[in-house]
Amino acid sequence: MTAPTARPGSGGRPTSGRGASSSSAGTREESGPRTLAGPGTALIQRFRTAAWLGWQIEANWADPFTFVIYSVLRPLATALILAVMYSAVAGVATSAQAFLGFYVANAFHEYVTRILVGMGWVVVEEREEYETLKYIYASPVGIFTYLWGRSTVKFAQATLSMMLILAMGWMVMGLRWDWGAVRWAPLLLSFVLGLTAVVYFGFLVAGWALVLPRAAISVNEGVAAGLYLLCGVIFPIDLLPRVLQALAIALPFTWWYEALRRFMLGRGASDTLAGFSDPQLIAALALSTTVLSCLSVWGYHALERRARRQGKLDQATLF
Amino acid sequence: MRPAFEPAPAPGPLALNLRATWARMYVRVVGSLREPAWIMSDAVFPALSMASFVLLYRALGAPPTFETLAVLGGIMATYWINVLWGMGAQLYWEKQSGQLQLYFVAPCSRLAILTGMAVGGIFMTTTRAVFGIAVGFGLLGVRVQPFDALQLVLVFVVTMAALYALGMALASLFLLYGREAWHVCNALQEPVFFLSGLYFPIRALGALGALAAGLVPLGLGVDAMRQVLLGPAAKGLLPITTEVAILSGLAIVFFILARAALEFLERLSKREGRLTQRWQ
Repeated sequence: MTAPTARPGSGGRPTSGRGASSSSAGTREESGPRTLAGPGTALIQRFRTAAWLGWQIEANWADPFTFVIYSVLRPLATALILAVMYSAVAGVATSAQAFLGFYVANAFHEYVTRILVGMGWVVVEEREEYETLKYIYASPVGIFTYLWGRSTVKFAQATLSMMLILAMGWMVMGLRWDWGAVRWAPLLLSFVLGLTAVVYFGFLVAGWALVLPRAAISVNEGVAAGLYLLCGVIFPIDLLPRVLQALAIALPFTWWYEALRRFMLGRGASDTLAGFSDPQLIAALALSTTVLSCLSVWGYHALERRARRQGKLDQATLF
Repeated sequence: MRPAFEPAPAPGPLALNLRATWARMYVRVVGSLREPAWIMSDAVFPALSMASFVLLYRALGAPPTFETLAVLGGIMATYWINVLWGMGAQLYWEKQSGQLQLYFVAPCSRLAILTGMAVGGIFMTTTRAVFGIAVGFGLLGVRVQPFDALQLVLVFVVTMAALYALGMALASLFLLYGREAWHVCNALQEPVFFLSGLYFPIRALGALGALAAGLVPLGLGVDAMRQVLLGPAAKGLLPITTEVAILSGLAIVFFILARAALEFLERLSKREGRLTQRWQ
């Protein structure tokens, strides 16, 4: 692996401290003090470095082609499972036309599976496998910037998977929708809001992984499965028990999937949510995203404090 | 000078390997009940996906037999996950924790250790599968007609033998490879769910399903168990007796393959110095 080199004069964080080698420190002293970066530039540099590192960790075990195949195998298999389930009952089911909405939401659930779960995995990998979590905390990168940066490769994977799932549905399975009826502005707004919720909830999942031992591996995956069930990705939330329906409505992802269906296909899936107008739907999505984001940041810090207090921040339990 | 005590006589090869199997199984059985977080995650989370698929059938207005198919598929999915991560990837965990070399200096057969892992894994997963059964047949209210329990147990045992023998063969990959084999295991999860028809009748896959059934025993095992539970409504691929015979054959073939692969990859990894190499 080759580390990205900071360009001279690019305004990076001053590196004349402990981490700098004597030769490079000497060179800098001879050439005079460097200009301090503005907070924005430094943030972008740290983010970029974390993103680059994420790409290397995720992908450097294979050539790009193999990596792409590996990346899309799982989501395409899940989509195929849904497709064959649908085709197996298409002749005898009474509400088969509802399937398109479930299929589309399943495609967008890739962001939850990849980014949200991926952030929990970052903590597990760094602490348990590479034993480098303590160094990340000791570095100036900032944990949120680091997690955010590491998740960019997962965002790219999720986008690729989502597009492939939709393309497969369109071309192979004949699942069609009217592109002319797609309402792009609210769709884009909903997408961004949902993505924000995914990233911030990912922080909470990462925080949870800090206090959990090796079982964090299963918990990470379980969160995605739990949201798959709770937010009505492949069925309307009306089928859930009332208690779970109330919980589902409090989560932004439920509104997200409903908004994506409504603005992309022209109709949602849930009778419960059908009573909300479009502005109300977006407002509910925005409100639940804001609340969840605030809770997630607060929750991460609370869990991190607990992990520090209990000495779990760098306590490897797996190997 | 006489030693303070007489050393115990060395056991014969069969007794030694049975003891090794018992010891490795004991660790897994006892360990499976010690970590509440693992129990919860292993038991609850696979059941969530199963519940989603059952509710999808319900949302589409499918006949109730499809819900039974999905429940059984969800329960059997936990075994495949255990085969992948508890058998296939186990030697990776052992390598990372520095224990793999102990297996190689022990005087017993590696297959005896893997057999212990397999039996312990089946026990552990069965304790977890109880939760899936409770969710499927209790919480979701899925129902089956009276069935032949003995036949179901027989089919289950043969399916487990074939599945875990495949797991032993997969485990040998980790003697040589690291992350590559890890990613292979990761990539095998959902595609095998699909090719095995875990959530729909395998017959719906046509020729592809028949081909996959000949390679991965999960599909045939699930199909045979569905036929025991649902009869003709299961839309089985082949008669139960034929499927049991194929599964028995696959169990033998995978066991022989596992033995050969272990020997070959052990030699190769020793030659390349990768047997105890961590973080590869």
